[in-house]
Amino acid sequence: MLNIIKSDIYRLFKGKCVFIVTLIIMILAGVSVATMSAGHFGIAVGSAGQMEQMSNPEFVQKMNDAKTLKDFREVMHELGSDKLDRDIIAQNINLYYFLIAFVVVIITRDFSNKSVKNTLSSAVSRREYYTSKLLLLLGVTTVLVLFNNYFNYFLNLIVNKKEMASSIGYITKITLYQMPLIYGMAMMLVCIAFAVRKTSIFNTISIPFIMVIQVIMMIVFAIIRETPEWYTKFEVQNALANLANDPSSKYIVECGLLGIIYIVIFGCVGYYIFSKAEIK
Amino acid sequence: MKEAILKTENLTKKYKDFTALDQASITVNKGDIYGLIGRNGAGKTTLMKVVTTLTNKSGGEFYLFGNKDEDMTESKRRIGCLIENPAFFDNMTAYQNLKYYTIQKGIVDKSQIDRVLELVKLTDSKDKKFKTFSLGMKQRLGIAFAMLDNPDFVILDEPINGLDPIGISELRDTLKKLNEESGITMMISSHILSELYLIANRFCFIDNGKIIKEMTKEELDAQCCKSLVIKTNNVKEAVVVLENEFGTNNYKVIDDQEIRLYDFLEESGKVNKALASKDIDVISIYESGITLEEYFMSIVKEG
Repeated sequence: MLNIIKSDIYRLFKGKCVFIVTLIIMILAGVSVATMSAGHFGIAVGSAGQMEQMSNPEFVQKMNDAKTLKDFREVMHELGSDKLDRDIIAQNINLYYFLIAFVVVIITRDFSNKSVKNTLSSAVSRREYYTSKLLLLLGVTTVLVLFNNYFNYFLNLIVNKKEMASSIGYITKITLYQMPLIYGMAMMLVCIAFAVRKTSIFNTISIPFIMVIQVIMMIVFAIIRETPEWYTKFEVQNALANLANDPSSKYIVECGLLGIIYIVIFGCVGYYIFSKAEIK
Repeated sequence: MKEAILKTENLTKKYKDFTALDQASITVNKGDIYGLIGRNGAGKTTLMKVVTTLTNKSGGEFYLFGNKDEDMTESKRRIGCLIENPAFFDNMTAYQNLKYYTIQKGIVDKSQIDRVLELVKLTDSKDKKFKTFSLGMKQRLGIAFAMLDNPDFVILDEPINGLDPIGISELRDTLKKLNEESGITMMISSHILSELYLIANRFCFIDNGKIIKEMTKEELDAQCCKSLVIKTNNVKEAVVVLENEFGTNNYKVIDDQEIRLYDFLEESGKVNKALASKDIDVISIYESGITLEEYFMSIVKEG
């Protein structure tokens, strides 16, 4: 098992994915820190602070009037969130796209170019193969989250100084809180990858997946004219944002359990499908 | 008795209503170069995929190095495979691709990469990316991969696909050398019997998922080689004439009316005359013999 992980790490560093992802994270961090605002994706807007800012007409007007980056930074400094690193980490749903890239390189490419036959026809069982890929992806996820969070933290600390930075202990704490849900998200991608076993289909499903779910939910909530509490609390994007903003112990445990449920369910389903699959 | 490297018993693979492999029972003995012959879609690749666990069997059993199919991990450590088309990572070089698999297989001795590349004459192209390789080069890299870690048993699915005549000849020599010098047992599939004939010592004919016939090279030779067929009512005396008048015992009595003489193919008139001079009635005398391809076609039709 260790050999498969080692060989995939060798392959990861022979490709461009690691370097491109690292570069993009650094650029995004640079932009966020320079503009003092955390970017987000999806339909749900980010943190409570950001939602409050966007609904403040005075703030919006000042933002529109800002002509230079310096002006913009002044507006953000005046009215923006006081803890930028925390706001950036609240938007860690962004890492979903980087996870897709790693799943493609580590898992679906093996199936698309059919090199999985070389591995499975030698002394590797399907269980060993599946477990190795899964562990490697969880390892990569860990490194990705740690790099993203601490790079943003230190860059913010250097550029925007202490007044816009949290303590390193707080950053470590919220990183740990988010981990189970991010692992659950990674496991969902692993499950889809082993189920479809083709890069093009995997991309077609996984890239819009979260947004499609959000759109469906929004339509349903518009029809029933109510947004249930569980959605605002436990939808992945919302949950990751909430976990970065002083969550209660009960909420941390609930999200941790949700992450573990995702890990177990997607892990088992993915393995079951793969164990019955025809390797073409 | 020879050690069986691979033994299948009524091995079956079904895809819904389609039976790709139908109760296949074969034995590959140690030291064999076992030729698996069949048309496209006959079930050759399916058989190979089942024994390498790339696909799950629907019925029957198989034993690899004496181990039953449920516990294959250790046995698979001793085999090298090239199933269907060679598949590697496009953006990596030949050397990097093989290095990836040496790490995966836990091979510490990295000089093995150079050894197998040399074996398939790819040393000069080792730093070229796989995506730039021709089909023949890809095929050779696939064979190099199969030879990594000095396997005891090599399974090659249509290895000559895409190779030019020189490449085919070189590959044949390489495989023969590995078989003779290193004692590597091989199972090679092809739909070109004449190519397999030049390398294999045992043959298995497969069609519609069924094993039609297993035979040695000698048995195949006997079926295919040219002979003079003598049909007579007096086989016993005809044999005496052949031995005394022509001094040959290179014949075979097929039944009480037929003798096959493997000498004097150009002298059927002389043989006829000699038999007639001893008052032996010759019903007919003619030259017979079929090519390997004709034989293949005939047994496929029979099957």
